[in-house]
Amino acid sequence: MGVIEANHLTKYYGKARGIIDVSFQVEEGEIFGFIGPNGAGKSTTIRLFLSLIYPTSGSATIFGKDCIKYGPELRKEIGYLPSDVFYYERMRVIDLLKYSASFYHKDCTKRMHELAELMELDLYRRIEDLSYGNKKKVGIVQGLLHQPKLLFLDEPTAGLDPLMQRKFFQLIREENQRGVTIFFSSHILSEVQRLCNRVGIIKEGRIIEIADIRTLQQNNYKKIRIEASNLDASYFDLPGVTNLEHHNHTVRFFFKGDINAIMRRISGIEVSDVTIEEPTLEEIFMHYYE
Amino acid sequence: MNIFVQELRANLKSLLIWGVIVVLFIALGSSKFSAYAGNPEMLAILGSMPQALLDAFNMRAFNLTTITGFFGVMFTYFALILSIAAAMWGSDIISKEERDKTAEFILTLPVTRSRLVTAKTLAALVNCIGLLFITWGASLVSAASYHPDSTFYHFLRLCMLALFIIQLTFLAIGIFLGCALKRYKLANSVAVSLLLGTYFLSIISSLDKDLEFLKYLSPFKYFDASVLLFESRIDPFSVGLSLAIILLCMVGAYLTYTRKDLYI
Repeated sequence: MGVIEANHLTKYYGKARGIIDVSFQVEEGEIFGFIGPNGAGKSTTIRLFLSLIYPTSGSATIFGKDCIKYGPELRKEIGYLPSDVFYYERMRVIDLLKYSASFYHKDCTKRMHELAELMELDLYRRIEDLSYGNKKKVGIVQGLLHQPKLLFLDEPTAGLDPLMQRKFFQLIREENQRGVTIFFSSHILSEVQRLCNRVGIIKEGRIIEIADIRTLQQNNYKKIRIEASNLDASYFDLPGVTNLEHHNHTVRFFFKGDINAIMRRISGIEVSDVTIEEPTLEEIFMHYYE
Repeated sequence: MNIFVQELRANLKSLLIWGVIVVLFIALGSSKFSAYAGNPEMLAILGSMPQALLDAFNMRAFNLTTITGFFGVMFTYFALILSIAAAMWGSDIISKEERDKTAEFILTLPVTRSRLVTAKTLAALVNCIGLLFITWGASLVSAASYHPDSTFYHFLRLCMLALFIIQLTFLAIGIFLGCALKRYKLANSVAVSLLLGTYFLSIISSLDKDLEFLKYLSPFKYFDASVLLFESRIDPFSVGLSLAIILLCMVGAYLTYTRKDLYI
């Protein structure tokens, strides 16, 4: 049983597309990356899980329970870090965190102070005086202080400086090691690549791929670059070849399929240099988006 | 409980500001009244004014030279001030979470939406009661120097009861608008426009017998200060009508808010 199960989730805002027929599962204890460009439907999906909005059709379960019907109960075990953090401007950080903690029927004080210290957060400032990055830190502490079993992170690193990002990733890994399942939405691929086990790629509201990060990189695509004189790019225009580019004496392309087919082609001509690489997630991603 | 306390704290300043407005208004009114008190010339001046004008401001029914009559006229203005405050609190207290985008915080915590509506409604209700007591207290203080008789105190009590029902009505209307309107930013202005609209309806309905039916559309007209004074009773039909509006609005508020998409 998955911790999160989305079954044909569809959301239209009036006539505007939110997400269409989104189905996937997130297993217990994994870090699931959810990637796609702005406006693809990442936040919509998360807000559906948190029942801030209701689906047009389809459903979702969290810990095996319907996320709308059991929403309030489920949210005891859920931490959420939104992409833009908004709090009551007039409150002090400490009061906000205590207010947030008061909704969970347990003592969160110790964890709250630990997290605040780790994120170097000044607890006695007013929310309205905080910079974007500092508000984000409040969000991190607020989302984690009740030691949730499931974390929704929506573009969590935006606004954090590199040092804080590193601390944050460390924190997320530690949480994960304690068994926390993490749903990590981002458009920054390198961080997804660093952190996640599996990724779902969403484009224009539809899931276009769900795969293990390693399979996505290893088994699917090779990035091939061939240098030779008198090259004709169309020579490599085989089934499985995409993004074929030709510059002077160099041909570059992505290849998906039987590697032997491409090797035979290469051996048929006189080459001066060949490189075959795993593409970065970034490149795979760009490929999906074209 | 935590939401309720938090809302009381957040709204305390607003309550104090409205309280100051009411106290200043009463102070201003009673300083004017000191010129009318027991002054027959005043009656002559009022008598020469057009009847329609006096009706519009609910001044015909009362003898402005007595403290009771004076508060009878003040009742209309109390109703206006207190109901504006109630409508604004009501329309703001829930919709502000969407406006300030804090809905994404409060409603991703383990709370149900109906609990949020309940806690916030109660907090706004406490504010309304607070303002009512400020009004009552300030009225008693300002009237004390005229040594009013027991009729006055009884009348004032009835006035406060009527004001409370009017407050509740507009609070409920405000809460309903704050919950139901998709364009939540409009809730405040729609609530106050509606309020002023019904207030003018109440004036129009008193101008012409043919337009009297309009009074059912205006909660201000449900409780006529002259009836409160001369008949010393609150019209049960009006109470029923107000309760029906309150009930309808609150049911509507819960239904719409629990079903609504929160856009952030």
